[in-house]
Amino acid sequence: MSLTSLFVWLHDTSFSIWLRDSTWTEPIVETIHVLSLTLFFGFAVLLDSRLLGITMKRRRISEVLAQLNPWLIAGFIVMTVSGILLFMGDPVSFYQTTFFKVKIILIVLAGLNVLVFNATIGSRMESWDLATPTPGKAKASAILSLCFWIAIIAAGRAIAYVLPPP
Amino acid sequence: MISHFLMWFCNWADFSFFGAGVRNSAWLFPSIEIFHLLALGILGGTVLLVNARLLGLRFTGEPVAELAKDVQPWMYISLGVVLVSGFFLFSSESLKMYDNPAFRIKMASLVLAILFSFTLHRRVSRLDESHLAGAWPKWAAVISLVLWTSVGLAGRAIGYVPQLH
Repeated sequence: MSLTSLFVWLHDTSFSIWLRDSTWTEPIVETIHVLSLTLFFGFAVLLDSRLLGITMKRRRISEVLAQLNPWLIAGFIVMTVSGILLFMGDPVSFYQTTFFKVKIILIVLAGLNVLVFNATIGSRMESWDLATPTPGKAKASAILSLCFWIAIIAAGRAIAYVLPPP
Repeated sequence: MISHFLMWFCNWADFSFFGAGVRNSAWLFPSIEIFHLLALGILGGTVLLVNARLLGLRFTGEPVAELAKDVQPWMYISLGVVLVSGFFLFSSESLKMYDNPAFRIKMASLVLAILFSFTLHRRVSRLDESHLAGAWPKWAAVISLVLWTSVGLAGRAIGYVPQLH
């Protein structure tokens, strides 16, 4: 079964119809999506700027990560669940939007960036916890993360222009 | 008197060259909006972090004043970007915004949020740890979160509510 036929099927489920036809669901879910996204992005910028050695320089990177990570993960979960709900209300139109595909690819890339960081330079964090400047690989990871998230937010905004909320 | 001044201001912004410029361009509004949203995210993150510290939820091993000082540049820069980009967005449709109840609530909450942030909240977040016992610092955090959240919620509502006139 192709993705298109899967989304056509999803489009006709009663859950999707309910999401689409309810007056309040879309604004509420969209608001939750945007608010959790802004907070996630704020925390991500603080973490990345610590990796770049711009803020909280005196603080251990492992400590900053330990403090920010639980909320970053929580924000990501809220963002993902609300995003999936928005998608499920109108799956075929989203799937046909280029910006939506771009956004999904960027989210996958941002996730890969985290995995690569954790598997390489991030796994040896104790050895450069307070180093100034921070290692180049950590900086590269932070810059990639910032670029991906800025592009993800921009692509998300662009979707709203192509597919205005009902 | 105040409403006269606000009406005049909205008129001026609406007819200004930048108001018309943003309005007549297909891509200026969306691009400025992205900056608005990105800066808003940074502002929201820093506000949440300092308040989470005041509430004893994050960075409990660090003095409040130090954490607040660390994130302060981000807060000021992002607030500046939010205000400037927001003004340009507003100027492209200021006469419409004048009659939008959600926009009015957003501006009222914004003024309160900024006033509170730069007065009482700032004093609390600069206090020495020994003065932070008791409930008041936590209330300052709650008030700050409520004010900034209402700015965000009213902002989201602008596109959904009907005009007044």
